[in-house]
Amino acid sequence: MGGEIRNPSAMPVPPSGTLAPFKAISRFLHMLRPLVFSLALLASASVLADTACPQHFAAGQRPVVTSPKLQPRTQEVCFKAYAVLHSGLTHTPLYSAEHLTRQNVKSASKLSRKDSFHAEDALPKSDRAELSDYEKSGYDRGHMAPNADFANRKAQAESFSLANMVPQVHENNAGVWAGIEGAARQLATTEGDIYVISGPAFIGSNIKRVGNVMVPTHVWKVIYSPAQQRAAAYLVTNDDTRDYAVVTVSKLEKMVGLSLLPGLPQNVRDAGMTLPKPVSRQGWQGKGKSKSKAEDEFTLRDFATMVMDAILRASKK
Amino acid sequence: MTHFKPYANESDVIRIGGLEIENRTDRLSLTGDVVLTRDQAGLALAKELKALLDQVVSALEAEQPLPKKVTLKPVQTVKNPFS
Repeated sequence: MGGEIRNPSAMPVPPSGTLAPFKAISRFLHMLRPLVFSLALLASASVLADTACPQHFAAGQRPVVTSPKLQPRTQEVCFKAYAVLHSGLTHTPLYSAEHLTRQNVKSASKLSRKDSFHAEDALPKSDRAELSDYEKSGYDRGHMAPNADFANRKAQAESFSLANMVPQVHENNAGVWAGIEGAARQLATTEGDIYVISGPAFIGSNIKRVGNVMVPTHVWKVIYSPAQQRAAAYLVTNDDTRDYAVVTVSKLEKMVGLSLLPGLPQNVRDAGMTLPKPVSRQGWQGKGKSKSKAEDEFTLRDFATMVMDAILRASKK
Repeated sequence: MTHFKPYANESDVIRIGGLEIENRTDRLSLTGDVVLTRDQAGLALAKELKALLDQVVSALEAEQPLPKKVTLKPVQTVKNPFS
């Protein structure tokens, strides 16, 4: 990312003994120049974050880190079917982004027979998660971008990179979260294509950690529908809940310290969208019979306000 | 399937029908669903499932002593780097 900063060209310095104050100021400016230079670079980077894989993002623009606390030790990793911004602070992704199409969903339903969870080679050892971090932790390795979204063998295999995982409570991963993933696939099938960004939230002054990996308090999934020109996000707590909330993108952006859809107009990020109910596995597979039961399985609740309050309280400390 | 050794590692994932079987050193998790139809495909899946469960049972029976409950690593609490 950070391009090399060349030593700025030498300023004319008057001969020693004459104009001493000017010389001191000139030296001082000289020292400052690389700093000013790098600040300018930083500023331009935050306006438009470069990505090696724009195809995974709405309008070709990847999310931008807006909270300076999230910035250290972040690295983009591009895969065939999704992209991650990884954090060496949490040893998790900050988001996983994918462009989900009807064709992908159709092909992905024929899943491969065998896969393998693995540490991410593209990340420095000091930043990445290892299988041993999760071992005997009691937590699932929860996919952010789900393997069931991906259309071919290689893309599915890549989804098992730990760069795409967070420690997730099993009941959540296999329950409401799987339901949200199913709902996203259904929407992609109905509309032809959607953009999906999924990630963890770390809310509160203290965070649980297993091995070197931090356990998110929440997980979220942003859906942008190009057909409707609308977007919104699912938000769930990382526990055995069967409740979920739907929030606007701009609200979630404040929660997580990321500008998630920087390529889209502000009104799209503010307006929200009606998101489909998470589908239970029975509801997704079965035809009709168990439908009413499936619909009751997950409950929409407005707890986003509580989360925002918690963030405000934490920031006042 | 033949190479899947229950509890041997933290990496293997196999599928039987829509059932996803994840290997961990302290547990095996089976999520999703599988339909055993009353036909040849159903029998093939049933045999795979049975072979897997037989392996699980013998692995657990071979473990002496088998703990009453698995021991998890203690979860640590750290300061939130983002707050």
